[in-house]
Amino acid sequence: MNPTIRRLSALALALALPFAASAADYKVGPGSTLGFSGKFQGQQFDGSFGKFDAAISYDPANLATAKFDVTVDVATAKTGDNDRDNALPGSDFFDAAKYRQAHYVTTGFSKDAKGNVIANGNLTLHGVTKPVQLKVVFNPNAGGARLSVTGTLNRLDFGVGSGEYKDTSTIANEVLVNGSLNLLPK
Amino acid sequence: MPLRSDATRWSTITKTFHWTMALLILGNGFFALWMDGLKPSMEKINMFALHKSIGLTVLALFFLRLVWRLADRRPPEDAAPRWQRVAAQVVHGFLYLLIVALPLTGWAFNSAHGYPLQYFKQFNLPALVEKNDALSSVFGEVHEYLFWFLILVLVAHVGGALKHHLIDRDDTLRRMLPFGRAKRATPTLPGDTP
Repeated sequence: MNPTIRRLSALALALALPFAASAADYKVGPGSTLGFSGKFQGQQFDGSFGKFDAAISYDPANLATAKFDVTVDVATAKTGDNDRDNALPGSDFFDAAKYRQAHYVTTGFSKDAKGNVIANGNLTLHGVTKPVQLKVVFNPNAGGARLSVTGTLNRLDFGVGSGEYKDTSTIANEVLVNGSLNLLPK
Repeated sequence: MPLRSDATRWSTITKTFHWTMALLILGNGFFALWMDGLKPSMEKINMFALHKSIGLTVLALFFLRLVWRLADRRPPEDAAPRWQRVAAQVVHGFLYLLIVALPLTGWAFNSAHGYPLQYFKQFNLPALVEKNDALSSVFGEVHEYLFWFLILVLVAHVGGALKHHLIDRDDTLRRMLPFGRAKRATPTLPGDTP
């Protein structure tokens, strides 16, 4: 380590110390994505939400104070197929006219057997609230942090896909969710 | 019923190929024309998936049939003028071509549209071409027009068979019928004389 870096590190540490006890607060910056992957007729398709927002409080050293609060405009889902994109906001799926926003709020954080950080939270989607766990990877960087989350949920738990669209032999029940957020200090 | 073709009739295997594929191809074609007009629904999605699976079955049967055709004997042609035998061969050539072209253009249509291709909900097949909306509508049109062309060729095929049966009163049709028996013990030798 050369002296300049050592001095800067010491400075950074000195600046960070007063905040170490509480989680840092972040907002969502450009270059953030929130997506999902489903399976239709045996083939994976990937979608993303054009509009979402999140308030993130996170300090890897103090998970007790961490919190995610995410809102998603489900009408902005795009999956690269016109037929599907027209169907998703409709009453058979998200019913965006009635339930425009999905909402995820964490209730607590824990670590799994492998040492991964797991966010425990409640997802409200299509008017139904159910617990959903997300695996959390948090990497601080110069401007803030990169937060990556992945998780799975069952679409039918939330009533996404009603009537004949409940058929899981054509549309798989399991949906992967993934987020990659460019976090900026609040 | 003989497994292999003999001098008086087509083998059970050849007949099974012929009539199974005839049923599947025609059934699948009219099934598609009907379901195409339905409102979007899960049922329609599953019907299309069924149509695709049947089409792939036809394609697979075609290759098996081709192998069988090369291995099996053929009953001799019934006596007919040369132009009629040439016409019959041209019609058969078109039929074989269309049996392959219909599933393949359907597959390409499906791929260009970006749809998955799943065989009877069991496994997926790869895309033939990349997703391309313009190409997709071209393949879609060609796929449908080929079916109407097939109907035209079938009119000649069935017309020829009926002409042999009803006018010439020979065994051409009878020897391909599922439980057909040759009328004559001795087959007619091929020749140019009517």
